[in-house]
Amino acid sequence: MKSKNKYYNQASALIYKIKYVGATLLFGLSTLLHPGCKKLVEVAPPTTSINGGNVYNTDATAIAVITAFYAKLGQTTAGGFTGSGGISFLTGLSADELTLNSGISNITQVSYYRNSLSATAAGSEFWVTLYPYIYKCNDAIEGLNNSTTLTPTVKQQLLGEAKFMRACFYFYLINLYGDVPLVASTDYKINALLSRSATAQVYQQIIADLKEAQASLSANYLDGSLTGISSERERPTKWAATALLARVYLYTGDYFNAETQATTLINNSSFGLSLLNNAFLKASLGNKEAIWQLQPINTGHNTEDEWTFKLSNSPAGLNTTHPVYISSLLLNAFELGDNRKANWISSYTTTAIPITTYFYPSKYKSATLNAAVTEYLMVFRLGEQYLIRAEARAQQNNISGAQSDVNAIRTRAGLTNTTASTQPALLTAILHERQVELFTEFGHRWLDLKRTNNINAVMTVVTSQKANGAAWQSYQQLYPISLDEIQKDPNLVQNPGY
Amino acid sequence: MIIGLLQVSAHSTAQVTLKENAASLEKVLVAIKQQSGYDLFFNRSILKAKARLVIVDVNNVPVEQALQAVFKNQDQLTYSLNGNIISVKEKPEKKSDLVTEGLNPRLEPTLPPTVHGRITNEKGEAVAGVSISIKGGKTIGVTNDDGMFTLTNVPDNAILVFSAVNVETREVALANNPGLKSGASDLNLVLKTKTSVLDEVQMIAYGSTSKRLQTGNVTTVKGEDIAKQPVSNPLLALEGRVPGLFITQANGLPGSGVTVRIQGKNSITKGNDPLYIIDGVPYTSQLLPNFGGPLGGSGGLVINGVADGSGNPLSFINPADIESIDVLKDADATAIYGSRAANGAILITTKRGKAGNTKVDINMQNGWGKVSHKLKLLNTQQYLQMRNEAIKNDGLTPDPNADYDLTLWDTTRNTDWQKVLIGGTAHYTDIHATISGGNTNTQFLIGSGYHRETTVFPGDFADQKGSLNLSLINTSVNQKFRVQLSVNYMVDNNQLPQYDLTSTAIQLAPNAPALYNANGSLNWMPDGNGTSTWLNQDNPLSDLYNTYENKTSNLVSNAVLSYKILPGLELRSNFGYTDLKGNEFTANPLIAVAPENRAGTQRGAGYSNSEINSWIIEPQASFKRNISKGTFEILVGTTISQNKTSFQQLTGSGYNSDNVLEDIKSATSVSIGATGRTVYRYNAVFGRINYNWNEKYILNISARRDGSSRFGTQSQFHNFEAAGLAWVFTKEKLINKVLPFMSFGKLRGSYGTTGSDQIGDYQFMNLYSSFTVGMPYQNINGLQVRGLPNPYLQWEETRKLQFGLDLGFLKDRILLTMNYVHNRSSNELLPYSLPIITGFTNIGATNFPATIQNTAWEFALNTTNIKSKNFTWNSSINLTIPQNKLIAFQNLATSAYASILIIGQPITIGKFYHYSGVDPTTGIYQFTDSHGQLTSSPKPATDHTVLLNSAPTFYGGFQNSFSYKGIRLDFLVQFVKQLGSNNMFGSLGGAAFSSNQPVSVLNRWRNPGDIASIQKYNSDYSLFFHNGDAIGSDAAYSDASYIRLKNLSLSWELPGNWKKKVHFQDCRLFVQGQNLLTITKYDGLDPETKSLLGLPTLKVLTVGLRVGLQ
Repeated sequence: MKSKNKYYNQASALIYKIKYVGATLLFGLSTLLHPGCKKLVEVAPPTTSINGGNVYNTDATAIAVITAFYAKLGQTTAGGFTGSGGISFLTGLSADELTLNSGISNITQVSYYRNSLSATAAGSEFWVTLYPYIYKCNDAIEGLNNSTTLTPTVKQQLLGEAKFMRACFYFYLINLYGDVPLVASTDYKINALLSRSATAQVYQQIIADLKEAQASLSANYLDGSLTGISSERERPTKWAATALLARVYLYTGDYFNAETQATTLINNSSFGLSLLNNAFLKASLGNKEAIWQLQPINTGHNTEDEWTFKLSNSPAGLNTTHPVYISSLLLNAFELGDNRKANWISSYTTTAIPITTYFYPSKYKSATLNAAVTEYLMVFRLGEQYLIRAEARAQQNNISGAQSDVNAIRTRAGLTNTTASTQPALLTAILHERQVELFTEFGHRWLDLKRTNNINAVMTVVTSQKANGAAWQSYQQLYPISLDEIQKDPNLVQNPGY
Repeated sequence: MIIGLLQVSAHSTAQVTLKENAASLEKVLVAIKQQSGYDLFFNRSILKAKARLVIVDVNNVPVEQALQAVFKNQDQLTYSLNGNIISVKEKPEKKSDLVTEGLNPRLEPTLPPTVHGRITNEKGEAVAGVSISIKGGKTIGVTNDDGMFTLTNVPDNAILVFSAVNVETREVALANNPGLKSGASDLNLVLKTKTSVLDEVQMIAYGSTSKRLQTGNVTTVKGEDIAKQPVSNPLLALEGRVPGLFITQANGLPGSGVTVRIQGKNSITKGNDPLYIIDGVPYTSQLLPNFGGPLGGSGGLVINGVADGSGNPLSFINPADIESIDVLKDADATAIYGSRAANGAILITTKRGKAGNTKVDINMQNGWGKVSHKLKLLNTQQYLQMRNEAIKNDGLTPDPNADYDLTLWDTTRNTDWQKVLIGGTAHYTDIHATISGGNTNTQFLIGSGYHRETTVFPGDFADQKGSLNLSLINTSVNQKFRVQLSVNYMVDNNQLPQYDLTSTAIQLAPNAPALYNANGSLNWMPDGNGTSTWLNQDNPLSDLYNTYENKTSNLVSNAVLSYKILPGLELRSNFGYTDLKGNEFTANPLIAVAPENRAGTQRGAGYSNSEINSWIIEPQASFKRNISKGTFEILVGTTISQNKTSFQQLTGSGYNSDNVLEDIKSATSVSIGATGRTVYRYNAVFGRINYNWNEKYILNISARRDGSSRFGTQSQFHNFEAAGLAWVFTKEKLINKVLPFMSFGKLRGSYGTTGSDQIGDYQFMNLYSSFTVGMPYQNINGLQVRGLPNPYLQWEETRKLQFGLDLGFLKDRILLTMNYVHNRSSNELLPYSLPIITGFTNIGATNFPATIQNTAWEFALNTTNIKSKNFTWNSSINLTIPQNKLIAFQNLATSAYASILIIGQPITIGKFYHYSGVDPTTGIYQFTDSHGQLTSSPKPATDHTVLLNSAPTFYGGFQNSFSYKGIRLDFLVQFVKQLGSNNMFGSLGGAAFSSNQPVSVLNRWRNPGDIASIQKYNSDYSLFFHNGDAIGSDAAYSDASYIRLKNLSLSWELPGNWKKKVHFQDCRLFVQGQNLLTITKYDGLDPETKSLLGLPTLKVLTVGLRVGLQ
């Protein structure tokens, strides 16, 4: 009995000790270390990023967000603004402007060239590239509107830029793809299920954006601080919004307003037609024709467009770096004595047999590595405004007004005045003038053929030549949306024919 | 001989302090003499014959008391103390049925009767934790760390049962041993260490167990099996050895990516990597974004367009330093890791020293690696015929400015480019040395290795590694305090070309010109315009100048401190630190550029740095007690950890010489590519309760509460828990009687939850990153939004239900393990695919109400086929039959996943057209559409009628080990049943001069009426899309199953007398091989990588020598 008690006492002493130690331990763990202590699992935002909560709170970061648009547009992204994937290049291939060298096996280039785009290979480049910009514009507009700490003029300018850019992106989306979804917010849950909006509705949005942009944007070209004046024209202004608005009114058949908007620019003494060889220089070199230009962003480069087009540049000749040359159709479109052929087109002759001469666009001149930056990518220029007004006036039966605008362009090119004197003749003359004035610039030719309903007539001939006899089909005037995108959004319908 | 040691001065009040663990009696007595000044007499020969080693720990006690302690366990000797004289003498002989163990008279019988004793193993080492019970009754005691025990109140006729995890159970009847009963004798018992495979140690989360007592699903691969394989990434040594584990190597380059999947894919698009724990410290499963060269990925993530790095982090752990790898699969084994182990866990334990003589082991091997299989491609004649036919079909003639192969190149040349570009021999050199040893209190190990591995490409490329492994363990003399330190360090310098030459080797026209000119310079083969005529102008060997170099240093270190404050209660904490630094350099010199392009090209170089730095502290307390007939263990602990990553990629351009590319300062412009800095914090409490009832019923419950910074503020914490139950039914008397041939039988089951937080950091935040370009726009560095944020991010949860059956027959000579796996993952973290009109192709991560089920049958059979004195033959075979199924997916039809997922089908399926040959009239591929009609222009939306699954149907391995005297032969055959994309259709449909084709294209359509498998060839790409459709059809996939002699190891131990002559304890010559033989119907280069254009895994053979010195 005695020993049992002793055992019991030992055991209870042990249990007591365990309880004591265990309780201390658990208490220690739970108070000091238990994961209710949020501090142990909270992290500050990464130092490599700014977050949505504060990016629109200071002028510098807000400006950096919008400025990143322009820097990004200077990249040679497929479906972007410049270079071998850019809008001038790819729509030039689609239309009758560029010939793809026969040895090129880049499927994207081949598909655009042969008008054989498809939902699975190539054709959705612009869709895929431009919609993310739309999100960024929407995000910026929401963020800027909610911000209360920005300098008012900075906020106003940035809002104007974001709206202008949104209009600009939609303009290309509807002209390349037809009806497109109109994304009005940043809520992915809504946006993921959007269906297409009618082109007219998208144009309404574009016009509304451009009017607001005109009201918000500065009349002066601003520097990176948005408070100083820049000698370059690399940020959108009231005038860039006006230029696009004039174009949009022309495209929508609102000729009165197209004329009005174009006139604002033509009458503005800040702008003028430059000599042919100066028309694509940066503004600070005295080029008054520029309305909005993009600063090159790749080290050692001027414009990526010339980097792509210039055949004489290393590696010389036709190759994967320079896969295209000017088509004979475009080359033959120039009238005799048109200085644009001499000044805006250059040639390259092979040294090997068979000796062949190829022509390439040389509106921009410089594609030499590490040459001084003298040329900016021209997005809007006054020359186009003359042709917009000419067409708007012709449509309104203002024959002499139209003639004088066309003649302004022709005179600069060293040509005599137009002989067209009736509305249909003038419209034909203007379409031709646009072909030789605006070639390989931002898809003008492709868009003109479409909006003037000349595309089937022209492309039936051209496609057959380009695609070894394959027939042009009318549906090919709209580019396809990739199958992937169609599958991801159940409400999105493919363009017919694809 | 009586030895008398007299001391000049003596103190009658002398105090003695002794602390010895297994010291000789003489040494201890001498120490007493020296400390006390007493005289000492003994007979050395008697002492030598009869003395037992002494364990004693006394502090400042009188001499008498010290002597009592010293002689407590001496069964044949006693002492007398007369004044200052100590004499040692023999005890009077007493009859005993036990000699070295047994019942020995005690000097002073104590009352009340108790039973004392000590348990040792056959090596004389104390066995702690032996539980002692009265047969058919309760547990009445347990041995301490010295193996000692004291039992009170033992019934006179009791049969005592001694049992412990790793020793064989013994019984002693008190009735037969009156001495014990009266308390007059000590019971010194030797318990044999168990040798059954069932009793080998298995590492588990925060502890260890054995297969016998395991309640979970764990497979162990031992270091000796890893050492038999000439691989430089330990993961590759696991291939074919572990049921439920599927490993694929990205390609055959040193340091290549390795994808690891345990029990299938739980996550549709997020991380499926297991949790790696090296010596208790979590280790990254993916490298940070890097240039990666040609290494290939490890099945990681792409977050905001930035992919996890190429290569594999386990490449920086030397396989030779590994003691064992334990693969933890079910919830019972992994729930205690909570949110990190939904995809299983891989525990790597590095080598430690063992008590004994200091030992040096050196292992040297040298070897060769080759591409084992070449593709059958067109020869020049066949190729030229194809090209001319293609051009003729368009009504054209070869273009002198494009079709160089026909117009410029020598059409009589015929080169096997696979032989030239990937036909070389990779050389292996590996040296590893360890020094280890220690005593019972302190053990150490120092290991160091050097590894060099070259490539099969032309040129001088090599991956070189140096490694160091340190381990130090110290236990205090009283066995209470223990410190264990392990450090693993490796430096790696991997130099490779930036591009894998394999695709060039396969696609280059067979009549392409010589690579070099007669003067040894690269042949650019210019045409009349001076334009180089290779594909994209570049001579394939120019890529050898575009070099890639990756220097990595990796430190994984851990310290474990533990203290036993009370019997059974231990406090412990581990402190881990890891630092993985990568430093990459890529060079793009002008010499790699075609001469005519050099004027317009800038030299370029890339520099990337990355660092993953983590620390972890895990204080724990464990308590172990015998309760009734069972052993009860409880563990509680907490984890605090932080993981910091940073990386940056810089590219320089405009250097004035190829020689200065390594110097970033020589660049005229430097641009910053990707950068990243993240902090990941993690905090948890965890606990485990294990109750083992007489090794018959075992219950294991574990739980964890986790918090992670990766999740939104609204859902940062979550609980995970699991329970496992095992029933060793062969312990039941009835079953023992009915099934006497069954030596072991265990039924176990577990159920629990685990989580996955493999989504990348900061996914819940709306972040803007800097957008940089070469010339900043208006001198402003832009900012752009990174992705769509989700503040409600939560854990992905996997519920695992698994059943297992372990059976042993014929004294465990046959061991069979079966597992049924039923895992369901829900709350899926998806980068929810979005149409681009939302601005992004996906939202980084959202929890999605989708459920994925992985079920599997896993089998492992180990048999000892022959076991005789000189010859043994062991086999093991394992087989896994997995099945993956999408159980639920809310609104799948209207989601972005509608095109790739189907409810009820595996998530690894793809949808394909049904190929129906070539239309004999048009010569164009045709397919069967959804209405059963033949069409040459199938519609992707409707005509993807065939489902194919790329995941394996079953896989496993078959290992055999033979040993005959000193010769040992091991081989492992790995087998996988799977589908893979085949090489039937070639590339580009023959349109481009730069693309040679497989011989399958000889069966192409040439004339109307031809029945062919390959469509008409032409050159203007108008048929290109049909070729694309064919590649997206079921005919492009075929059986890629294979049986591969994964590993072969033959070794010969030098005869004993030879070794004696050279003074080696151990000397073994060996030959080892990896991937030596592959049997497959697959027509690509390698069914393991299933890549049509990547370097296949190499066939490697090494010879080597292993010596051991003591």
